[in-house]
Amino acid sequence: MNMTDKHRLWLMFPTKLITRPIIWELGKKFEVITNIRQCSVNEEIGLVSLELEGDRDEVKRSIAWLEEQGVKVEPVEINTIEG
Amino acid sequence: MDKSNRPFFSNLKCRECGKLYEKKAIHVCEYDFGPLEAAYDYDAIRTSISRAAIESRPQTMWRYRELLPIDGEPTVGAQVGFTPLVKADRLAAKLGIKSLYIKNDTVNYPTLSFKDRVVSVALSRACELGFKVVACASTGNLANSVAANAAAAGLKSYVLIPADLEQGKVLGSLVYGTNVIGIHGPYDQVNRLCSEIAGKYGWGFVNVNLRPYYAEGSKTMGFEICEQLGWRIPRHTVAPMASGSLLTKIHKAYNEFVKVGIVEDAKFSVHGAQATGCAPIAHAMQRGTDIVKPVPKPDTIAKSLAIGTPADGYYAIHAMRQTGGGAEDVTDDEIVDGIKLLAEHAGIFAETAGGVTVACAKKLIASGKIPRDEEAVLCITGHGLKTQEAIAGKCGELRLIKPSLRDFEEQIYNPDMAATA
Repeated sequence: MNMTDKHRLWLMFPTKLITRPIIWELGKKFEVITNIRQCSVNEEIGLVSLELEGDRDEVKRSIAWLEEQGVKVEPVEINTIEG
Repeated sequence: MDKSNRPFFSNLKCRECGKLYEKKAIHVCEYDFGPLEAAYDYDAIRTSISRAAIESRPQTMWRYRELLPIDGEPTVGAQVGFTPLVKADRLAAKLGIKSLYIKNDTVNYPTLSFKDRVVSVALSRACELGFKVVACASTGNLANSVAANAAAAGLKSYVLIPADLEQGKVLGSLVYGTNVIGIHGPYDQVNRLCSEIAGKYGWGFVNVNLRPYYAEGSKTMGFEICEQLGWRIPRHTVAPMASGSLLTKIHKAYNEFVKVGIVEDAKFSVHGAQATGCAPIAHAMQRGTDIVKPVPKPDTIAKSLAIGTPADGYYAIHAMRQTGGGAEDVTDDEIVDGIKLLAEHAGIFAETAGGVTVACAKKLIASGKIPRDEEAVLCITGHGLKTQEAIAGKCGELRLIKPSLRDFEEQIYNPDMAATA
């Protein structure tokens, strides 16, 4: 049986992607459960806290696809690397 | 605890929705994924704490233990903190301000940066929670501090670093016998791996699952500033911003001291300093928004501040706005000038982040954001020996002579000419 993963992510949408329904596309394209917990959008940037659940490889592929589209994907902790 | 056994440190609390949580190794709210922070019973603290009680304790950051998130006595880093607050009159004159102080964490114990404050809290709490392995992801100061403090406490430690980090910085952690792991790949992927490791192995990850405890250690810089000024809040404080956490915690410290009756309520402003090559918080402030746009590829010599996606940026902006503070950013050349200004006028050798703070303070004073007839405290967070490469070749040159008095007088110092000069 495949391993299931649950990731808590912080997505940052650049201006050009703000109006595109990317999270809907993600759910259509991949076998993952998307669960939005918080969001904030203005004319410059879109920020979304998202729980992403599914088979580990499928989650990995879906994150890679988000990044290919131009969405910045961080863990909710964001900067785990510090000075 | 107070006399009726009420704990001073009561809960963890979501900074977004206010939901309360038990004091475990958790760091985000289950509902909105907002960050958790330590919450205290200020009524209980007010009846217990006093200036006299604090003054009677050893001169370390733990003299403010009622306002720190551990249950018992500190077990890691008991000697950390209470660094000098230096009145820097020559630097004040140079920057054109009436009164200037340097909070000098270049001499913080044991690893010469303010990170020892946050790490001693995180690891003391890690011991209370029963962790045997601790870890962090860092590009320098934090790694050194976790490695050193874990070694002293007998904890096993792992330090995760970007694979391309300079050898000098790696040695500063390896020497303590820690496990140093280099990770290939861009920072956002390294960030994701670290939070996965923290979630999976039950390690105490100081800036992930121990973050609510870790971050509180920064408050002690604010507490010490107030005490060393004679129990009052300074009118202006300038702090460097990486994640933005230090600035928000200094703000919290000043407010807490008022809340528990240790200092009188007074108008104060907190100001933030960043390097132009990675200034997401300062730029958001300057644009008049609280939405922080990530910097995908930070490019600055101030590597300890080079966080492109700062976790506390939003909260730092609100602290600055609420107190009437400002934010500035400075170029690499200005950072080097800032390091030299501090060294030549206060005798303090700071790392690049210190150069950022001094250079931004200079701009804040020149623009009138910090009025010339008021006072300011600059938070200097790490020692210059850690980033010597940043100023190599920019501080004058060695002058060589033969071992002869004639050479000395011809090339270096002629008493006759000096007398007429």
